[in-house]
Amino acid sequence: MASATVPTLTLVRLCAMQELRLSVRSRWTQIFAVVFAGLALAVAASGYVLSGGSGLQDFSRTAASLVELVLILVPLTALVFGVMALTPDAGAAELLYSQPVPRPTILLGKLAGLCLALVASQAVGFGAAGLLLFWRSGADGVMGFIGVVAGSFVLTAVFLALAAALTAGATSTRRAHHLAVALVLWFLAIVLFDVVALGVASLLRSGTASRLLMVAVIVNPVDAVRTATLLAVEGTTAFGAASLAFLRMTGGALGAGLYLAASVIAWVLLPLIVAVVRVRRADI
Amino acid sequence: MTTAFLLVALLAQTPQSRPADGPAPYGPLEGRPSVADASPLQQRVDAAQPGDRIEVPAGSYVGDLYVDKPLHLVGVGRPQLVGSGSGSVVRIRADRVTIEGFDIDGRLGGNLARDSSGIHIAGRLALVRDCRIVRSLFGVYLREADDSVVEGVTITGIEGKAPGEQGSGIHVWNTLRFTLRGNTIRFTRDGFYIQSSHYGLVTGNRVSQIRYGLHYMYSDDNRFEDNVFEQGAAGAALMFSRRLVFARNQFIHNRGFASVGLLLKDCEDVTAVDNLVADNQRGFLIDGAIRHVFRHNVVATSDVAIVIYDSSSENRFEENTFVGNLAPLLLVGRRTDTVFERNYWENFHEPDLDGDGVRDQPYRLSNVFDHLRGNLVAADLLAQGIGAAVLARAEQAFPVLRPISVVDEHPLVRAPERGDIPRMPQENPRGARAGLLVSALGLCLGVIGLRAGRRR
Repeated sequence: MASATVPTLTLVRLCAMQELRLSVRSRWTQIFAVVFAGLALAVAASGYVLSGGSGLQDFSRTAASLVELVLILVPLTALVFGVMALTPDAGAAELLYSQPVPRPTILLGKLAGLCLALVASQAVGFGAAGLLLFWRSGADGVMGFIGVVAGSFVLTAVFLALAAALTAGATSTRRAHHLAVALVLWFLAIVLFDVVALGVASLLRSGTASRLLMVAVIVNPVDAVRTATLLAVEGTTAFGAASLAFLRMTGGALGAGLYLAASVIAWVLLPLIVAVVRVRRADI
Repeated sequence: MTTAFLLVALLAQTPQSRPADGPAPYGPLEGRPSVADASPLQQRVDAAQPGDRIEVPAGSYVGDLYVDKPLHLVGVGRPQLVGSGSGSVVRIRADRVTIEGFDIDGRLGGNLARDSSGIHIAGRLALVRDCRIVRSLFGVYLREADDSVVEGVTITGIEGKAPGEQGSGIHVWNTLRFTLRGNTIRFTRDGFYIQSSHYGLVTGNRVSQIRYGLHYMYSDDNRFEDNVFEQGAAGAALMFSRRLVFARNQFIHNRGFASVGLLLKDCEDVTAVDNLVADNQRGFLIDGAIRHVFRHNVVATSDVAIVIYDSSSENRFEENTFVGNLAPLLLVGRRTDTVFERNYWENFHEPDLDGDGVRDQPYRLSNVFDHLRGNLVAADLLAQGIGAAVLARAEQAFPVLRPISVVDEHPLVRAPERGDIPRMPQENPRGARAGLLVSALGLCLGVIGLRAGRRR
């Protein structure tokens, strides 16, 4: 069998390239790239206008708005693109999975390709926005900006993994169902989770409530990325006294970084494991 | 005699009498230094005729100097006056003394209770210019020194010494019509401490790493303009004073625990125009403030822009710009009659359909988070998020909490022209170059990535 002689990494790379090619040919990736770049540019431009062109931390204010854009758009696109790509038409799925390649390898390859396509389109948007931002503000915030970009890439990986866990082994007949579930998941992650956390916190005693909110911020990958990037961009001024409380609980900047990183890594790995198990068992 | 006259004049000037605990009691004045402690320049000073000009050549002169007649002391080539370590280095005990061009070293010596300073002035019409003062408990002390001027003096206090153990950069006590201009002060207790002194002007100074940059106590009718106060517990603290006017100052980077850009306590009729209050833990804090007007200031990137105690009344905020503050207002006590009119609130996005430059809905300076923030520090972690925005919208549509009704009836669509308001120092342009490079690289890599998918 071919898979015995070809190393798995090569297979993953082959699948990834094929997926990248597919998504680029479908034109949706480019459309996303253009839309994302347009929105990022709009944020970069309006961030400057909103502060009255005052030079009042134009950079970090704008970077913070850019983070908000990322938090809304990136999980949504990663989920939708993931579900669309991982629920192929029945014939295509049969053809693909009948190749002498282990199913998890195909799945991981497809995910890598998708991730590459999305990351590349985001890089275009960030690049364009960054050019405008740094040109206008003349700020010294490269590391913060890289942090925002990295946060966006991490969110892409997290929500692609979630899409994979959701759809592993499915075909296009269930696509609408999976899309609906993905949308619910997205809403849950970016809105409902925070609302519930705040609601519960307002019922508890203040010490417990504060701890609950800090744990909530770590556990939810969207909040984790938001907290990490805003702290990276604005330092402890990002959340006022709450930043200090958060750093105290997590044991300083390094501790906070580790907790947040552990959370998002778990959010990539656990769904991937679920996806691999499910695709092995799936009846295609 | 003059003091009595001044007191009468003051009482006539102000409708209310001075608070009983106002002026500090008279302390003993440091007198002529002992022969052992005296500066080698003392003989020249004693031999001079009133009104003489004495040029002091470069060199180091150890000992304290006592000036009891009008003289013009000029350092040529920056001579060093090194104190004896037992009191003030230069003691001015006559009117019309000018001293310029000296480097003064207090040698950490003297006595706080006796106001040991680099230059201690107890005479009117003194002029101190272009001096550097280090390691002294007080920098320059004006004691009943009406019409005196201190300008272009650099004072570096004793770094790491607790505020209680050293004095202020420039201390003004019971002095009228003083002028403090273009001085630079660091590492002292307060930058300027001004007590029971009226009709003064403080302008173009730069103060950092102190407790309070500028501290008025029981001092009426003062102006301060074009100063920079940064990295203190408070940029400025105005207390128990009336009719203060300040413009075009910067109160920035006061970020420590419970720090504040501008603290106003039990003052009346204060006017603030064209100031920049940015990157502070709290912007303005007003407690017991009566009839203050805050017009055309910028309050930016604070945790809380304004803190108002309910002991305040009849205050107005007009045409100020609020940008990037985590919360606009914290009320201590449940009520306030503070008026907000025609301010610009960066985070308020109601439309302006009739195009008159004023948003169609009033801006409410409190939201659901003020209720949480009060006893829940971590609420701010989520306060700027999407979930919180949804929550705030919902609460606005279906109010379940009884909000404190502080509103700006006519919030502006655009920030008022900045005009005279100072700008934050520009950030590092080299950093921008790195940012541009990274952005361009990202753009290229992204395009290459997308093109890689098209090949073959």
